[in-house]
Amino acid sequence: MNQTDTKNNSRSLIVRILNGVDSKIAKLEEFIMASGVILMALNTIANVISRFVFNHSIIFAEELNSTFILLVTFAGMGYAARHGRHIRMSAFYDYMPDKARKRLMTLIVAVTAIFMLVLAYYSVQYVYNVYSKGRIMPALGIPVYLTYLWVPVGFFITGIQYALTTVKNISEEGIHLSTDLKEQAPPEIEV
Amino acid sequence: MALTMFLVMAALLLLGFPMMIPLIAAATVGVVELFGDIDKAEFMVQQMLGGIRPASLIAVPMFMLAADIMTRGHSADRLIDMVMVFVRHIKGGLAVSAVTACALFGAVSGSTQATVVAVGGPLRPRMLKGGYKDSFILALIVNSSDIAFLIPPSIGMIIYGVVSKSSIPELFIAGIGPGLLIMLLFSIYSMIYATIHKVPTEKAATWWERFVAVRRALWPLGFPVIIIGGIFGGIFSPTEAAAVSVLYALFLEVLIFRSITIRDFYSIAKSTGMITGVVFILVGAGAAFAWVLSFAQIPQELLGAIGFTEMGPTAVLFVISLTFFIGCMFVDPIVVILILVPIFAPAVQSTGLDPILVGTLIVLQAAIGSATPPFGCDLFTAVAVFKRPYIEVIKGTPPFVFILLSVSVLLIFFPQLALFLRDVAFDK
Repeated sequence: MNQTDTKNNSRSLIVRILNGVDSKIAKLEEFIMASGVILMALNTIANVISRFVFNHSIIFAEELNSTFILLVTFAGMGYAARHGRHIRMSAFYDYMPDKARKRLMTLIVAVTAIFMLVLAYYSVQYVYNVYSKGRIMPALGIPVYLTYLWVPVGFFITGIQYALTTVKNISEEGIHLSTDLKEQAPPEIEV
Repeated sequence: MALTMFLVMAALLLLGFPMMIPLIAAATVGVVELFGDIDKAEFMVQQMLGGIRPASLIAVPMFMLAADIMTRGHSADRLIDMVMVFVRHIKGGLAVSAVTACALFGAVSGSTQATVVAVGGPLRPRMLKGGYKDSFILALIVNSSDIAFLIPPSIGMIIYGVVSKSSIPELFIAGIGPGLLIMLLFSIYSMIYATIHKVPTEKAATWWERFVAVRRALWPLGFPVIIIGGIFGGIFSPTEAAAVSVLYALFLEVLIFRSITIRDFYSIAKSTGMITGVVFILVGAGAAFAWVLSFAQIPQELLGAIGFTEMGPTAVLFVISLTFFIGCMFVDPIVVILILVPIFAPAVQSTGLDPILVGTLIVLQAAIGSATPPFGCDLFTAVAVFKRPYIEVIKGTPPFVFILLSVSVLLIFFPQLALFLRDVAFDK
């Protein structure tokens, strides 16, 4: 009895710390997503204005946009994993009995986690290669690898999200599409 | 190798994996078979990032952001009101209004799903009150929203343009003709439906009401001017037109209509950012997949096996249409474009067909397929948005799908439907 209590306590402490880290990451993702999209708009508009008013384009506008879109994509990917919002074709899945659905969902999130973590590993390798070649963005003048740094992080966070969902599916009742989305009636799509 | 890749992809897709995984898994299988070494997965990462980076793709999140702002604000309602005061008193007037409003909203936004929400939301209750059957209304809204996929700006066209390396402005203008034709045919069908089912006709608006409605819609009508005028006047690139329409949407909704606040804007940007992540990781995974395919020369092998290049242009167009139509019945159109365009692109080049015509046809199929049972993704949007059972959403679709397929056949035999405007605008 006592033993389980302490175990529960220490476990809940770890869970609390993890939850704290997790919500910080979520906030960071939200910030990158929203500000990345806004910065893309500002940057593109600034380029238009510069072309009309000063008669020449901002030479690094496209490079900046490429950087922003990478940030937004990999932040958005993690965020969507957290909220179970990645697009999937669930037509057959939806018709399966509960037990089969739970098994299949556990398999889906586990395999997805593995792929994401493997890609995180290879993207570290890729970023390191780009770094050692010392490529520089021609207009911005900053090293290319800097714009890629968020990529492995994004894959890693997404992989962890799916891994946690796998654990949740194994250890808890019900079917979990993501760490915070449990399957109930048909999930609602916000457009 | 091609067979293993496609089997892996199909199996994971049908089991309900997030759609990036079937693409990534198939590409991984390909890489391992090609190089005998998973370590080459690094190239996959390189290809993914290369697929996400093209500057012209920035137009996609920008148009989505503009549409998101308008959908939450008043622009859509004002456009709908304007259409209604002019056509609601004819036979089937409310239905014709819905079709026209979808086309018009398609000219300010590039997404079918935004159109379902923006036009279907306010018009469905009015049509129910007006005596239309719900199954007809739902089918009408879902299918008319597909016009938004063809009328510029169009997210499907942007992605096709980037993947096939063809001109996005030319694709945009080529979509107008078929889009308007569909609008016309849907309107005619609506009138026939209203006549057969004896749907009562609405009272005509007075000229004063019309004047007020037009005045109220003047601001939102600036969008097509910016987008279509800006791109074809050579003032903006599609990406710039998209960013300027974001600015214009903000200007209207925040300053003029005061319908959203800057704080709302942040949360709208957040949701656009998430959808961007979801779509662009697919774009990246698609690029990796396409790279493996072309590295292994699979497209040539595959199309050579069915004698694709010796078929003659009409047969080629039929094969392409059929493939995309079937693909889009099952999977999100963006994914289908990402997977299939790289397979067909080299062969299309060698047949000498106009890539703009092929693109218009493909985007048309994508639009049709995504509203076709069993799995067309717009059907599920409608199920979620209107909270109606799936069976009711699909009940009224067959006449619409029939009309859309007829337009595809017309387009194959009369390419000028799409190319006429393009030729005029670009002096070809």
